[in-house]
Amino acid sequence: MIQPVADTRPKGLIETETLEVSIGPQHPSTHGVFRMNATLDGETVVALKPVMGYLHRNHEQLAERMTWLGSMPYTDRLDYFNSMANNWAYALSVEKLAGIKVPERAEYIRVIMTELTRLLNHICLVGFLLQDLGAWGTPLLYAFREREKILDLFETVSGSRMMCNYFRFGGVRVDLDDKSLALAREITSKFPKFLDEFEKLLSGNEVLLARTQRVGILPKELAINASITGPMARASGVEYDIRKVDKYGLYGTLDFRVPLGEVGDVYDRYYVRVLEMRESVKILNQVLRDVPAGPFVAPEVKLRNFKVPAGDGYGRIETPKGELGFYLVSDAQGKLPYRYHVRPPSFINLTILEDMCLDHKVADVVIILGSVDIVLGEVDR
Amino acid sequence: MGFLGKGLFQGMAVTARNFVGSYFDKERMVTVQYPEERVQVPENSRTFPFLVFDNTADHMRCVGCKICEEECPPQCIYIVMDRDENGKPLQRPKVFDIDISVCMQCQICVEVCPFEAIKMDNNYEKSQYDRFDDLVERLPDLLKSNEYYNHIKPAEASAVDAKLKAEADKKAKKAAPAKAAPKPAAPKPAAAPAPVAGRLVIPEDAPFTPEQRAWLAGFLSSAGAVAGPATAPVESAAVELPAVEEAAPDTEAAPAVDTPWHDPGLAMPQRMDLAKERPLADKLMAAMAQTDCHACGYDCRGYADAIAGGAESDLSLCLPGEGETAGMLEQLMKEAGKV
Repeated sequence: MIQPVADTRPKGLIETETLEVSIGPQHPSTHGVFRMNATLDGETVVALKPVMGYLHRNHEQLAERMTWLGSMPYTDRLDYFNSMANNWAYALSVEKLAGIKVPERAEYIRVIMTELTRLLNHICLVGFLLQDLGAWGTPLLYAFREREKILDLFETVSGSRMMCNYFRFGGVRVDLDDKSLALAREITSKFPKFLDEFEKLLSGNEVLLARTQRVGILPKELAINASITGPMARASGVEYDIRKVDKYGLYGTLDFRVPLGEVGDVYDRYYVRVLEMRESVKILNQVLRDVPAGPFVAPEVKLRNFKVPAGDGYGRIETPKGELGFYLVSDAQGKLPYRYHVRPPSFINLTILEDMCLDHKVADVVIILGSVDIVLGEVDR
Repeated sequence: MGFLGKGLFQGMAVTARNFVGSYFDKERMVTVQYPEERVQVPENSRTFPFLVFDNTADHMRCVGCKICEEECPPQCIYIVMDRDENGKPLQRPKVFDIDISVCMQCQICVEVCPFEAIKMDNNYEKSQYDRFDDLVERLPDLLKSNEYYNHIKPAEASAVDAKLKAEADKKAKKAAPAKAAPKPAAPKPAAAPAPVAGRLVIPEDAPFTPEQRAWLAGFLSSAGAVAGPATAPVESAAVELPAVEEAAPDTEAAPAVDTPWHDPGLAMPQRMDLAKERPLADKLMAAMAQTDCHACGYDCRGYADAIAGGAESDLSLCLPGEGETAGMLEQLMKEAGKV
């Protein structure tokens, strides 16, 4: 029973107090089961505490009880928008640890799939962000219409739209046939036209500019110090793209640029992603032009009783959200991972949420969170 | 640029174009009126696993080897092998349950199955009235005909059929010369056991206690061919069998003569009895389930050789043999002093 507190304020003066508001976990704009405990002074945010863990499902511990291959379908469920990219990060780590060489055709297929994943992730993120800004439904549905084409391709190739489970150690599970390649070419050739239209829809919209420019600024120094990766860091002007840094897969041989932002506000984060999609289309055009023939998986890799020599290794790739890395330790038996650790990009990108939100209005919190691009499957694991 | 609100009007123009376009352009109108209309799912599309049978439901391809049960990441498969009243495995599952509320549709069971027995369905309408029992698919629900498989996945199924046919032909070719050659039937104790180089065998009806028998067996195997029928205490009753080297050239295609226990229909004591005079690798092989299912990564012969040769130290890999095989392997290795 709450007792009413006696009003001890001096008469005649306006007293204000802060108000704690719990945004989420059941809230449409927290992009999943995520909660923010915001302390408000009027409408201004003075403190904000992210509360996560509602979707925790023990991913790392589960993987330590499972064969190396058994964890592959679970990585689909980390960031369920980008199952292909997650698969690659995990496969890359295991290949590094076991010293497996990937055939050339498999490398091409991997780049095709991951860049298509980047297209669909960014287009959806932009759609969601615009929805958070009040452009209710329309841009998101246009984005989903386009995403559906890519998902259809994924289903044709891997059997599942989102939980692809497509990569294998040393390659991919099934070959990309000519029909699917033609479909991928068609999607790639039509995408720039769609992107032009999509940009015309809102990029110049005065309401959007007023809401996003100079909002939620992430300074370059803070982005580096907080180990922010991916489009978020690049929007703040940090030139860091693992495709360029590590040159894993084929990326060393491909011609593409890394778009950078200047201010590091929500608008930059929005626009860097649009530009990245254009670069992805460029990459796809190069890769789809000359897919070589050959095996799509290294023949020496066994499906069952696959063992990894003792040791530890860290493999990372540039997923659409940032640096996704798997730190794996194998013991002498080598049948299961002794330690399996995930470095999820959206979890680490989320850590500076408070710094970006302070002194903004509570309505801006939603779009700042939206511009971080989180998927709770990956944040909580 | 222009006036304030130009961007806004541009956006409106895009929505208007999409709205009008949705009446004429198939690209802009993509929704399907489910359930009246349905999208054709691609052939690769997968939902939940089912078991394939040929012709009639008795001829299921699954032998109950439990590879999929072991490999299933969320552990949603439960298998019990079918056995007759004497405990012989019947090479088929008695219980095969898949809890589709747990299944995550990853297709790993399909990839690891060496018998092409489990395949992915593409039926996505699985709603049920009960959360628990109705979502566990039992053996009768899981069994679907090969025709059904061919119907939902024509290209994949025809490739599988061709592969199985090629395997069957190869087997038939192998079996034909073996049948033609007049070889003694395997499980007769007096004739069959132990064509190992010049070794002696104690007949079943010789008047020895088990202890004496064991001692004699050890003595004879250590004495080997040198002991000879004349000096052996079992004198006239002993049967000397031809050495393997002699038998080898004309029976290359029929290893069944060498390994009479290689019959999944035999129970463990019978198999061990047939191999009891043999070297360690043969005894280990007799302890396997004899299905050649490759669950361990080898066939039965290969796994036994790998253990005996020290290449494989894990004794628990024989899935169809369950605890029985693992226990026997451990016992044999202990007896051989290798553990």
